[in-house]
Amino acid sequence: MMTWQVVPAGTFKRRRRRTLSDRGKSIERVLANGTPLIATLLLAIVPIALIIFPSPAAENNRGAQLAAMCAACHRLDALDKGIPSIIGLDEKKLADMMAEFKSNKRTSQIMNVVARSLSDEEIAELAHYLATRKKGSEQP
Amino acid sequence: MNCWTRRQFGCLAGAACLTALAPRVARGEAKSRVVVIGGGIGGATVARYLAASAATIEVTLVEPKPRYTTCFFSALYLAGMRSFESLTHGYETLAQRYAINVVHDSAATIDPVAKTVGLANGTKLPYDRLVLAPGIAFKFGAIEGYDKAATEIMPHAWNGGPQTELLRRQLESMEDGGVFLIAAPPNPFRCPPGPYERASLVAYYFKQFKPRSKILILDAKDSFFEQDLFQDAWARHYPGMIEWLPSQFTGGIKAVDVKDLSVKTAGDTFKGAVVNFIPPQMAGTLAQQAGLADQSGWCPVEPTTFESKLQPGIHIVGDATSGGDMPKSAFLANSQAKVCAFAIAAALTGSERFAPHLFNTCFTFLAADDAVSDAIALEPTGGTIKISEILISQVGEDAATRRQVVQAANGWYVAFTHDVFG
Repeated sequence: MMTWQVVPAGTFKRRRRRTLSDRGKSIERVLANGTPLIATLLLAIVPIALIIFPSPAAENNRGAQLAAMCAACHRLDALDKGIPSIIGLDEKKLADMMAEFKSNKRTSQIMNVVARSLSDEEIAELAHYLATRKKGSEQP
Repeated sequence: MNCWTRRQFGCLAGAACLTALAPRVARGEAKSRVVVIGGGIGGATVARYLAASAATIEVTLVEPKPRYTTCFFSALYLAGMRSFESLTHGYETLAQRYAINVVHDSAATIDPVAKTVGLANGTKLPYDRLVLAPGIAFKFGAIEGYDKAATEIMPHAWNGGPQTELLRRQLESMEDGGVFLIAAPPNPFRCPPGPYERASLVAYYFKQFKPRSKILILDAKDSFFEQDLFQDAWARHYPGMIEWLPSQFTGGIKAVDVKDLSVKTAGDTFKGAVVNFIPPQMAGTLAQQAGLADQSGWCPVEPTTFESKLQPGIHIVGDATSGGDMPKSAFLANSQAKVCAFAIAAALTGSERFAPHLFNTCFTFLAADDAVSDAIALEPTGGTIKISEILISQVGEDAATRRQVVQAANGWYVAFTHDVFG
């Protein structure tokens, strides 16, 4: 049966590192101490855990769905080799660049095709999404 | 990891505790279940994006092979420019980071009424939505003499894996001065530039190590994708080495004889020292058995959801699908898979749906430092999928431009396989 145990320890930890506040860190210390009270403490943190460990579905908005298409060529953790990285850039710069690809002011066979197929609104939402990504912190 | 730290134990203990105390809905029983059959590019991408886009969807990926070898970039391996290992990818990250239940077994049956998939080992997997990414099957019997046993002598090498390795061994042991014969399939088939890229890079290998050898392409067609780009490159890089014979010249490919490594056309018999026979193709076997393919042999799909037009509730992605202008390529399979995953997530969780976009790019190597690309955007329109934008490399581009495409192609492989397999 697939239940919660299929979420491996590693996944859990990564999510925790990215999303936990200081409050979360103190819980981690309690766990690491491994006191005889650990079972009780675990019971106590369950309701908190349900709140502070959000779903792995970080974002599923239009920006995220469009960025998924970019991910076929550009790594969303910015560890690109031979292909320009597109995350964590200035939002306006990114949107302007896409507008230039769209109008052929800037030429790249692939990017001209991609930009022309997106509306201005889509470009704005995509640029916003990509600009907020951080290097090495790809969403699961 | 073999050694458990206390911190990791704490994480696990916390997870176990959640299992015990969380209400039924959060425990799993009330989760939506999606089964994805086929761990190639399309299937693995659907699984990954479904798992990442909704925590309430439980994803099972069924794939018999422990590792996947890409067919794209296999021409570089055949030419000795890339290792076989570099084309091979595991499912560990999908299982561990994305919590996908990866089952290494074959799907034997589909029951669309009971909504279960039966595995070869007898297990039944219930599903709310089913995704098939069955890839291609070969039409054995379409060409006299070319059956499954013949593939061990005249490999198709049109799936990445042992077939690719067999063809490489044959090319390596071929004596200088031999003829490498490629039989190119009729449309539609997986990877339209593929047979011609293979000819180009094997010619690159021959030019260095077996310069008296020749390559003969017997084509089931009268023209092929990016023909001008290929023929220009063959004349520049490998003058006199590659000969292409269209169907109208030979009268069509009729039969093979594995005993003397020959291919018969309407009027002639051609012998090769190595024969790479790429047969006519259709949607993968399971799609045929499940009644998902129409008379064309391919699976018609709804253009915004990739749900079967023949069996509602079952989605199909990848080379097995048909519709409008869609080429059969790994890049497009990945693009289709994302559209499909977002549509399923919306159907099962109520998440918002946006206008789907589909893209395809083929990077094609002509020599080690010469590559071309094409880019297309596709859009669902009028019940089918049509090309809305297209740009293709041109004959006469300078060497620097072509070298840039080589660099982009290599970068793309890294990013793309990361996107699919994590």
